[in-house]
Amino acid sequence: MNEIAIMLLAPIIAGVLAWLLDIKRVREIVGVIGAAVPLIYIVQTYQSVFNGGTINLDVPVGGFTLSFALYNLTWFFAAIAALLGFTMALGMASTSKDGYEWLFALMSMTGVLGVFMAREFVSFFLFWELMTFASFMMVLKYNRSASLKYFILSVIGAYAMLIAIGILYAKTGSFEFSTIQQFMYQDATKTALGVKGAFGKSETILLYLLFLTAFGVKAGAFPLHVWAPDAYSETNQSYTSFFSGVLSKAGVYGFVLLYSMMGIKLFYTLGTFGGHSLFAYTIAWIGALTVVIASFLAVLQEDIRKLFAYSSVGQVGYVLLGIGVGTQLGFEGALFHALSHAIFKGLFWLVVAALILQTGKTEFKDFGGLAKKMPITFAFGLIAVLSLAGIPPLAGFASKWILYEAAISAKMPLVAGAIFLGSGLAFAYVVRFLYAVWFGQMPSDLRNVKEAPLPLLLGMALLGMLNLVFGIAPGLVTKFLNTIFGHEVITGDIYTINTGVGNYNALMVAICLVAGIVIAGVLFLYGAKTRKVEVNDTYQSGNPVTQDFNLSIRVHFYKPLEEALSFWLRISFDKLYTIIAKWVEDFAEVLKNAVYNGNVQSYAWYLGIILLILALWGW
Amino acid sequence: MMNMIIQAVLILIYATFMGFIFMGIERKTMARIQRRIGPPLYQPLLDTLKLLGKRESITHGFIYDFGPIFALGASILALMFLPLTQNFQLFSSSGDLIVVAYLLEVPMLGIMLGAMSSGNPYSGVGVQRGLLTMVAMQLPYGLALIALVEHYGTFSLQEIVKAQQIAGWSILVPALLLAMIVFDIVFQALLGLEPFDITTAPAEISMGPMVEYGGKQAALLFTQHAVQLFAETAFFVILFLGGANNLLELLIKQIAVLFIAIFIASIYPRFTIDQAAKFLWKWPTIMGIIAALLAVL
Repeated sequence: MNEIAIMLLAPIIAGVLAWLLDIKRVREIVGVIGAAVPLIYIVQTYQSVFNGGTINLDVPVGGFTLSFALYNLTWFFAAIAALLGFTMALGMASTSKDGYEWLFALMSMTGVLGVFMAREFVSFFLFWELMTFASFMMVLKYNRSASLKYFILSVIGAYAMLIAIGILYAKTGSFEFSTIQQFMYQDATKTALGVKGAFGKSETILLYLLFLTAFGVKAGAFPLHVWAPDAYSETNQSYTSFFSGVLSKAGVYGFVLLYSMMGIKLFYTLGTFGGHSLFAYTIAWIGALTVVIASFLAVLQEDIRKLFAYSSVGQVGYVLLGIGVGTQLGFEGALFHALSHAIFKGLFWLVVAALILQTGKTEFKDFGGLAKKMPITFAFGLIAVLSLAGIPPLAGFASKWILYEAAISAKMPLVAGAIFLGSGLAFAYVVRFLYAVWFGQMPSDLRNVKEAPLPLLLGMALLGMLNLVFGIAPGLVTKFLNTIFGHEVITGDIYTINTGVGNYNALMVAICLVAGIVIAGVLFLYGAKTRKVEVNDTYQSGNPVTQDFNLSIRVHFYKPLEEALSFWLRISFDKLYTIIAKWVEDFAEVLKNAVYNGNVQSYAWYLGIILLILALWGW
Repeated sequence: MMNMIIQAVLILIYATFMGFIFMGIERKTMARIQRRIGPPLYQPLLDTLKLLGKRESITHGFIYDFGPIFALGASILALMFLPLTQNFQLFSSSGDLIVVAYLLEVPMLGIMLGAMSSGNPYSGVGVQRGLLTMVAMQLPYGLALIALVEHYGTFSLQEIVKAQQIAGWSILVPALLLAMIVFDIVFQALLGLEPFDITTAPAEISMGPMVEYGGKQAALLFTQHAVQLFAETAFFVILFLGGANNLLELLIKQIAVLFIAIFIASIYPRFTIDQAAKFLWKWPTIMGIIAALLAVL
């Protein structure tokens, strides 16, 4: 059987089996095996894809042919999905409550793999909807209103995509990406020569906006991000590692598709602004705004899940920003960051899953001092923190570094400024997470907390290790990404990445860091013996405090920032949408009372009036 | 390679020593401005040696000890990636401006880690203030660096120094002069001096993150501060004052940078944290944006 067919079918079959059997332990084993299959095939196909090979699958259904392809670009995204799917399954083996969760978690894995590997719009759309539906069901089980918000925005996105696909099909007569791409290319040449093409200016802009909405919703781009914080936090947290790590990448992949299909056409139609291609520059700014706004909001959250949900939105903003920069370097940075976001944020969500599983709490005010109780989880949490904050030499730094170089060398200083600000904010919110959860005084009800269960730890270990590997050897990733562009966009060996304007040797940084720590460590060991004291045995300016007095700052940690931003925080897109929703509801209420009032006589009147109109019209 | 390592060790010893002297200069100058006599220049070095010689020091656990070690290690790492002079390029070909800018911030994470792991509320407040200061300064800081890169068209510090040696110091270019002013304002925050000494604020929160440290951990933090001070002043010189041909030239320029910082510090009182954020997001940011846009044009 074809590799692609197995990769697509294995998760969903395993999901259905797990749901049907629904026996504790059995469903976990089935689920993990089902999620492992795509990863095995991904690893197996690496060599052939790296050398430029393609694996195809065509399934005739009705009048259509669903066709899929696995080549370097789709392999990269599918690899992210397969990896995170596997670690999600490991996490869920510890945290899942019933077969229902296995069914829909694995169904969304099939969905997202199908989206990444689809070669034409029919299967792309079908799998897109499968993925949305499955993730919606996952949220629905935990929180109805969060799931409805997600559902409504997804529906808006889906309709936008459907209309766009319709327009494309009407003009080009094809659903195939490659055919549409060629058509658009020819059309762009006509536009460039001043001949009227098949797509007018307004139609092209309409298509652009429709796709922007469709993919923007999924990626959680500002201002369509409002569903993400709720949906990400109100579900099984092991699943969120997949939800925020991979499903948002479907939106990112959509943007990549948009580029490859319509990039040239859009460039000639929309022209340039300040030397940048206008359509790309718009995406760059959407990304930059997403980064800044979501990061600011993440800093001010009081719930551990909300913090990381906003942070996920912000990190996907970096990816969009990189895509918007529009150069090959920007693309490579964006794709690299998509990978590193998946591995560090996946790790974060697994850590959060472990915390919630072991303590049952979600708010910062209830945590504290857990580093002693869950040392291994803490160590992985620290790796994730270092990677997200962009500390060299970890994966998060390597990808962010490329984004900096890309944005600055594409002459987008203000967009690059947004990356700087976003990084500062990221540093602030992860340290807050460290402080509130792991350090300080321990609330008395957390005394009996135990280390996370083994499967969850295995998932964390896999992702944590990759954060280190891709951090110290970023060349592994950039070399693969170079094959997508067909030439060496980023040069250097596996430890060094060189963009032509800058150079970063991750191994050297790692060696120097270790050497520095060794020097400092020797100095430390040379010093006197240490004596261990209680956490609360501290200097208090002569005011001794008893143990039952909580001195750690857990609530409103960044109050001064909130005060400094008070003006801006009053503006909320979430509230705006709520107001619009209220209007729609009120309008429906008016309709219901005035028109659909349930009175048979008035319905008869409506019928009569319509018949009269038709008669007058001459039917 | 061996040669490089010997060079690195020599520079490290020199930088640590000079860093302590810089701390001495800071205290002495402050004292003279306030019409006191002040301690001798080598006083910080004596303080550190004394702390190292303490018979016993307390600990709150592994992370509490690891924090200062990590901070010092990271400061040494940052120093190694600066092309200090023509003869001492160290490992600067392995990392560029963005790498160094990040490396200079890593030590803070170490200090924060250590501070957080003690249950002291002053440390907690210090951590909060430190991070907010960092958030506030990040935007103008970033814009100043961006202006520089946009002007020179390269991220490599070596190339930036070379370009300055041919075409004159950065500050002779109007856009970069503006960037230098922005950078200098932010520099106060980087060094933890007034008006941005919000993190340590000795009179309010007794040195903030450092409050709980004594004995050898405090000695490590002092050493870290010395190395960091040397690295940051050298970073300033490399970016805006044309780099240096030899260590003496570097030293003179570093002390000039240091004096400006000390003078500003001794004139201005401390901002509160929200004042600092509002200030930094207003004038320095506007100037930074202008500088960056001018540099692109």
